[in-house]
Amino acid sequence: MAGKEFKQRIHRALNNASLRGALGRFADSYIVSREQVYAGRDFESLRQRIAAIKADAAGRYEELAERFTRAVEARGGKVFRAHDAAAAREYIYQVAKEHGVTDIVKSKSFASEEIHLNEFLQERGINPHETDLAEWILQLMPGERPSHMVMPAIHLPKEEVARVFSRYLGQPVEPDIKNLVRIARRELRKKFLTAGMGISGANIAVAETGTIVICTNEGNARLATTVPPVHVAIVGYEKLVPELKDIVPILEALPRSGTAQPITSYVTMITGPVPAWRDDSEGIKELHVVLLDNGRTRMAADPVFKEALQCIRCASCTNVCPVFQLVSGQVYGYIYNGGIGSILTAFFNSLEDAAEPQSLCIGCRRCAEVCPAKINIPDLVLKLRERVVTKQGLSSGYRIALHGVVARPKLMHTLLRAAARLQGPVTHGRPLIRHLPIFFSSLTEGRSLPAIARAPLRDRVKDLERPLSRPRLRAAFYSGCVIDFVYPEIGEAVYKVLGREGVQVVFPQEQACCGAPAAYAGDRETAVKLAKQNIAALEGTGAGVIVTACPTCAVALKKDFPELLTGDPAWEARARIVAAKVKDFTELVHELTRDRQGSSGQPLKESGRALKVTYHDSCHFKRHLGLDRVAREVLNGQPGLELVEMQESDRCCGFGGSYSIKYPEISRPILERKLKNIAASGAELVAVDCPGCVLQLRGGLDQMGSAVQVKHTAEILAIED
Amino acid sequence: MNQNDLIAFFTRQAEAMGAQVIPVDGAGGIGPKLVEVLRPFGQRVALVESSMCREAGLEASLTAAGFHIEKDGAGFARQADTGIVEFDYGIAETGTLAMDATGLKARLATMLPLTCVALVRAERVRANLTEVIDAYLERGNWPGYFTLVTGPSRTADIERSLTIGVHGPERLLIILVGNNGGDCHGR
Repeated sequence: MAGKEFKQRIHRALNNASLRGALGRFADSYIVSREQVYAGRDFESLRQRIAAIKADAAGRYEELAERFTRAVEARGGKVFRAHDAAAAREYIYQVAKEHGVTDIVKSKSFASEEIHLNEFLQERGINPHETDLAEWILQLMPGERPSHMVMPAIHLPKEEVARVFSRYLGQPVEPDIKNLVRIARRELRKKFLTAGMGISGANIAVAETGTIVICTNEGNARLATTVPPVHVAIVGYEKLVPELKDIVPILEALPRSGTAQPITSYVTMITGPVPAWRDDSEGIKELHVVLLDNGRTRMAADPVFKEALQCIRCASCTNVCPVFQLVSGQVYGYIYNGGIGSILTAFFNSLEDAAEPQSLCIGCRRCAEVCPAKINIPDLVLKLRERVVTKQGLSSGYRIALHGVVARPKLMHTLLRAAARLQGPVTHGRPLIRHLPIFFSSLTEGRSLPAIARAPLRDRVKDLERPLSRPRLRAAFYSGCVIDFVYPEIGEAVYKVLGREGVQVVFPQEQACCGAPAAYAGDRETAVKLAKQNIAALEGTGAGVIVTACPTCAVALKKDFPELLTGDPAWEARARIVAAKVKDFTELVHELTRDRQGSSGQPLKESGRALKVTYHDSCHFKRHLGLDRVAREVLNGQPGLELVEMQESDRCCGFGGSYSIKYPEISRPILERKLKNIAASGAELVAVDCPGCVLQLRGGLDQMGSAVQVKHTAEILAIED
Repeated sequence: MNQNDLIAFFTRQAEAMGAQVIPVDGAGGIGPKLVEVLRPFGQRVALVESSMCREAGLEASLTAAGFHIEKDGAGFARQADTGIVEFDYGIAETGTLAMDATGLKARLATMLPLTCVALVRAERVRANLTEVIDAYLERGNWPGYFTLVTGPSRTADIERSLTIGVHGPERLLIILVGNNGGDCHGR
């Protein structure tokens, strides 16, 4: 799916040191300052309120647009409902032409960029001047792309800005930030005082009163809507809210989530035309509001993607995104960045335009945690991926791998056994593959890959399944492919620990891949096929609990299977029964040992000191299953361990399944950061609850030559005291 | 919170956001205070008439001290060093000023000069935005141009370095006017 040009953009961004430095520093400090600015506030209830207001509005745009229009018209303003970009551009051009406007001052507006207004006006002899400092800098640099939605010029060092300004002024300019800001003030003030028209966007539009709300720090929107005699506001339908009181929670969240400020310096609310200087006397300004559809009502009618219209454009999702931090908005292209941007692009532009940007999502779910409009961005990105695949088909590599192999468990298992025998030359008898032949070398750059186990777990279980005399519980073990074929020792540890707790474990031999690789590649067909096969395999065991030690498998069984089979009369109920029985291994141990927790403390081994362990929060384990605290309690209850926290323990390791194969150049720097945090923690052992993370972290540490070990929690608990 | 606590909170928040809060006991104290603090920032003052300006006799005391006062005209506030405007409310939660800025002069005087003097009655400090919105709604028609101002004009667009005074004022002085001798100092 990733075309050559797209890959080149990624490559350029990754190699742009000032871009990566600036975005990295911002993202790091953002996380801390966001925490501070929300301190003492109930973020969860705030975002529920915003989500409710915006979801309700998205269900009745037509009604709200009519109400908004009536209110603006009652005050003497004009409202134009623009079906698409072309209609909006033409209307604005006509207004400008009618007034003989030659120069326009613009405050920042995504909508105006979305409709490519500047180019359109320029071609017709009208000069639009961006007045937001960053937008103006970029306007003076033709061809330069914005790197961030809220801070589009964050990647430019002051020396570069000074060069741009000296070219503009035709005289040398000192690269002093205060000086640069002074120049911008002086030059743009001239534009404000002479422009015939001001154009703004809007952060919120209130139907009740016909009010548009604009937030800025610089005050450029205040000037653009005060000085010129004509004001055109471009407002997407998704900015509509029913009532004035609805703006309060949005204004509480937008600056906090956007730039970690309690409020922007200026919040401007314009309701109808107001006095302005016209010709040589004070008169009444002319106000035009362009209500822009351009795909929005189609989106609102879509039961899945309607949710994305809740977005308030704070960009906090990109601020916490480990991928965005590396590649920036320059790679996503179009106007809207990050995961949410790819969804908006699919509707405002086209599904084709969204195909590459959406593929950048690694699925770590951090954005869903911070979104002030409570949008489930990662799930929507997966839905989008499904649509891309439905329309464009899978790339040939994926098609062969998923349809030809993963969807056929018997064949896949045979191939894996063959691989275990044939890999000899590259493994050199070691458990990790450090180098692969040239075509695949990027897979082992920065991390080693594990060798396929000689005997998969499914062949070993007959030796492990010893009948217990009076079992507390009967559990079916769903191992997932990585434990089955790469790390059967994790499976053995699961048997050992659960056996010790009196659990009779069985291994249903008909179990197959959970389908996550297919689901995350947008291949719903294969995912459905595998869901059915697994449900049949698991319900045959009669076990009370289905245990997994892989959080991605757990999510597939618990959440994806019922969702994939919804509406299928033969399967839906069966999927739900299976889903209800699924439990993560560590979660089960926590329940079984509850009475012992905290009682023993942390007695040291007789031999000496405690082993220092740090815990890596796997994305799906923490954000889907919510078991981060449970895992720490289980480890704390284990004698001989001292748990030390690493920095950013819940930051993705960069694995993301096939993501690390598709985008090794992005996966690698994410891994490097994780390895740095691990090293800084001083731990000798990393505890993890996801075999995918085990694979990634072991590979990275091996390549670094680090002595730090990585173990699944099951392996740690299986260590004999 | 009682009014004194609100005023203290407002003062703390406004200063944290980069404004300077100057309490005066009553309207009579405004003139002498402004003569003292505005002198370093230039002689040209754009003054927007309001009940408090008149009560304070601001025009007379500034003129007497040698300031050049403009109150009207096509170029209003364009060349002024300072704009003086009365705001309707203070919002304690965020240290914000609120004003019905439908009148053109109020907008020009608060945005064009490098220094903005905001007069606000201490008794008009409210806890949060919701209370202020309610107060306007009670008055009837929602203002044509309603504005919230918190601290000076700022940008962090170049290297994320906070710089003030990009398009609007680089200095926001809030004159918090008490009720003649009452304890409205806010500290």
